[in-house]
Amino acid sequence: MIFKKILNHISNWNKFWFGLIFLGSIFNEVLEKFTMLNGSYFAWVLAFGSGALIGLVAKMRGAWL
Amino acid sequence: MKESSEITAEFSFEKEKIIAKSFSQRFQWEMILIGLGQAAIWLSLWPLVLNGLLDLWAGFLIASLCACFAYLPSHEAQHGNYSRGNPKLRWLDGLVGHITLVTLKFPYHILRITHMKHHAYTNDPEKDPDYANAHNTSVLQVIKNVLDGSTLQFDKYLEVFQNDKAFVNSFHQAIPIALLYKAAPLVLVVIFPFETLLLWWLPAKIGSVYTTVFFSYYPHLGTSIGRYKDTRFWAHWMPRYLNHSMQLHFIHHLHPSIGHYDEPKAIEALKPFLVSRDVPGANEIPDKVTANLLIKL
Repeated sequence: MIFKKILNHISNWNKFWFGLIFLGSIFNEVLEKFTMLNGSYFAWVLAFGSGALIGLVAKMRGAWL
Repeated sequence: MKESSEITAEFSFEKEKIIAKSFSQRFQWEMILIGLGQAAIWLSLWPLVLNGLLDLWAGFLIASLCACFAYLPSHEAQHGNYSRGNPKLRWLDGLVGHITLVTLKFPYHILRITHMKHHAYTNDPEKDPDYANAHNTSVLQVIKNVLDGSTLQFDKYLEVFQNDKAFVNSFHQAIPIALLYKAAPLVLVVIFPFETLLLWWLPAKIGSVYTTVFFSYYPHLGTSIGRYKDTRFWAHWMPRYLNHSMQLHFIHHLHPSIGHYDEPKAIEALKPFLVSRDVPGANEIPDKVTANLLIKL
């Protein structure tokens, strides 16, 4: 039952989690390496926030592209 | 398609099968080498890049090449072409099938069962899991859909084949590996962001696009339903060695047990049978396929 719930959650929310964790980590690394924002709290929020937002939009649209 | 009664005894299915079987005996060692080799190279990229022994962009190029070579060895395993019916060698099918797909992040069991259904129901809009790829409007649309992940409608086919116990069991068997392939990049990306992106995620996407375009789209483009009608001989500007000779994919659909590297010779031997059966494009098959680039400008 719990396993099924986890699977359902992943299939429903995988785009959001991918946006938040995967895209967020990439954006965070880009900001740290290539901008003056390295190490700042603002960069962290901007990176993971935009990753989560892209993931949420993809979830609502049902597609990435 | 010509009716069986119109086919002369000279080109009977029985004779076709005997010739095809003569090309279905050899041990597919090259494919095992490619499958395990590309996975080993891909895996070795991680310590090399992380320790600064290899530039990340060079690693990305190599990983992308590995990903393009990753599917076909698993495909041979899906058809049991390593064990060739020997139960003592079944482990080899599983081993190569699983390991080579690490680069593409796909669970072997799911690809195996959906591929079997693709063979059983080729070009059937409801039951062919490759239908959306093969019957798309353009190659660009195929690329978009693969990048989007919208061609992977595994849930849909779980419903379509819900009464097929073997299908459902294999599907469930694949779930832990599927979850691992979902979770692993999400963990790795936190620790090694660019490496995960350029050594795994992006190469897997490139490999998936390559595989879908050349294995699913071009061979079935414009074809219909029926044993001799569902896959075609095609050629374009690209030498066949750059697309895993997928111009010859039709012979695989007719006789899946023929090893990949034996297909050119098998086609040369079977060409009169293919022409007599009106296989799409059969009249354009050159007499010599072996060592022929099959370029058409």
